[in-house]
Amino acid sequence: MDMMESLDLFERTDVVNSLLARYGVKFGIYKNNTFHEQLFPFDAIPRILSVQEFEYLEKGLRQRVDALNLFLWDIYNKKHILRDKVIPEEFIYASSGYLAQCEGIQPPKAIYSHISGIDLVQGKDSEWYILEDNLRVPSGASYPMIARELCRRSSPRTFQAISVADNRAYADLLKRTLEHVNTGGLTVVYTPGRYNAAYFEHSYLAEKMRVPLVTCSDLEVENDRLYFKDYSGKKEQVGAVYRRVSDDFLDPMNFRQDSLIGVPHIFDVYRKGNVALVNAPGNGVADDKGIYYFVPKMIEYYLEQEPILHNAPTYLPYYRQDMEYVLEHFDSLVLKDVAEAGGYGVTFGSSMTAGQKEEFLRLIKSEPRRFIAQEVIDFCDLPILEKGGKVDRKADLRAFVLSGEETVVWKSGLTRFSRNPDSFIVNSSQGGGFKDTWVLNQ
Amino acid sequence: MGVKSVENMDRLFWLGRYSERVYTTLKLYGQKFDSMIEEGTGGYDEFCRSLDIPNVYDSAAEFRRCYPFGADDPNSIYSNLIRAYDNAIELREEIGSDTLSYIQMAVYELKKAAGSNAPMIEFQAILDDILAFWGIVDDMIEDESTRNIIKVGKRVERIDLYGRLGVDRTAMAREVHRLTGRIPRTGLRYQKQVVDRLNELVEQPQLDYPAIVREIERIL
Repeated sequence: MDMMESLDLFERTDVVNSLLARYGVKFGIYKNNTFHEQLFPFDAIPRILSVQEFEYLEKGLRQRVDALNLFLWDIYNKKHILRDKVIPEEFIYASSGYLAQCEGIQPPKAIYSHISGIDLVQGKDSEWYILEDNLRVPSGASYPMIARELCRRSSPRTFQAISVADNRAYADLLKRTLEHVNTGGLTVVYTPGRYNAAYFEHSYLAEKMRVPLVTCSDLEVENDRLYFKDYSGKKEQVGAVYRRVSDDFLDPMNFRQDSLIGVPHIFDVYRKGNVALVNAPGNGVADDKGIYYFVPKMIEYYLEQEPILHNAPTYLPYYRQDMEYVLEHFDSLVLKDVAEAGGYGVTFGSSMTAGQKEEFLRLIKSEPRRFIAQEVIDFCDLPILEKGGKVDRKADLRAFVLSGEETVVWKSGLTRFSRNPDSFIVNSSQGGGFKDTWVLNQ
Repeated sequence: MGVKSVENMDRLFWLGRYSERVYTTLKLYGQKFDSMIEEGTGGYDEFCRSLDIPNVYDSAAEFRRCYPFGADDPNSIYSNLIRAYDNAIELREEIGSDTLSYIQMAVYELKKAAGSNAPMIEFQAILDDILAFWGIVDDMIEDESTRNIIKVGKRVERIDLYGRLGVDRTAMAREVHRLTGRIPRTGLRYQKQVVDRLNELVEQPQLDYPAIVREIERIL
């Protein structure tokens, strides 16, 4: 960091932010039912991971994602883990992410989570903790990708002086991952459309992979095959769909009938093994906040290994002993609604009024499966640039793990930070900013 | 990339049209704004008539404010630029981030100009952005049909505007000839007889402007 001070990257933060604006690096947000595009504030001070630190994280992340993929296959096929009572059945079947329609399906190469976004924080004790596994449509890789490109333009001296692993080949890695499961035909990125929060990312990744970006109207199912319809009426078979449409809306014939952004029968083509859907439908059962509690047990069960990376200490009110602990230590815990995401449904016991607390306790007792409670991890602050100086803010790391021919951890990641000094919530939708994540080469 | 959806063909065409509409109307507005510096009022009704847009402005001041910047005015330059942007933003993978960035910058510049008491100075940046956009379309987009569709959209719009504004034969004939050479290379389904008719019309001793406008509007 001392060395970086003498270079010119930090003083060019505004230049980089203006370039990000120029390239339309934004995310969408709905406020009062109206869509707004917002710039995602970038801070030029990177999160820096040493070679050793990255190797440790890499090992732990690969282990975790491999176990999660085995779990997904097991849940939708043999269900050994339920039979052996490692996880109670109700945690599977009551999960909103579990899809009965996926029972017995064999996705290409048995991979369910091809792109996993794993959220971690580093505690003040230097220990890394997993906060969340995102196995449905995790977003965010495009931001550090483009930020790195612009930082290199703005301050070549910095990258001359410091040897950082290049993160700009993410699109190639992603394309290889998609090609690995492609059943024959085109690879496409399937977006719900420009009013989706992550539309920038959809279009940017399609551009960088040089594959078509499609919406539902461009795709058609015929004779158990999926086709991309050309302007001339010509149809070209599609073999892999990097879909950024959630399970519910994917196919109105199999899921929500009122979906206007789905492709009728796309799920039937997938079921017959004639197209790869990336990530696979039904993954929500594995990134449910309730299931998170069981991931270390999955690692032990499927891989017969000790988990390398640890969860934040978590309690399930579903278990009597944990419920007692939660009631006793309510004020020091953070409570999470398992059905919510994006920083929503997160409540700190210490910030509730007496009335709110009473209401919450009533809710936990009546719906114990709906909540998890976690110790508040005093995670490391990272410095950010503000008003010409530096201030410390809470920050997390989203690591991207790609499962193709092998499981690969991208040598970078999205570091999100809170701009509010009193907040632990780092989500962009809640006003947070982002940093690049550097993995040093030596 | 090889494959192109119907929607993207349509977006490319309209991106070309709206970029041209912004460029030409911005220049026309500049001339009108200049003449209004001394005259103060008047003349904008004729401006609206020539462009075939409704005169919904109550005063010269309102015209000066709303025609370039009015977000609620569907005929404003701002609305047309946003339409160009709306098409461009859905074409990132087709035209590339660098190309798209010039339309994005034009949007920022126009928003910035809204607060200026000398907007014509600010408009220069928007004109530069659009010229750069057309330049980068030629320079950076590899796919020939993608380039050609944008250019055909631009020509169609220019012929339409020239027809409404009654420009001279040389300028009109040049645009029709450029369109004639370009449109078969787009892959678009177009009315060949309309192109033939436009070529006949620009050969007439007296240019029939309403007929040119009618024909160009039914080219696709």
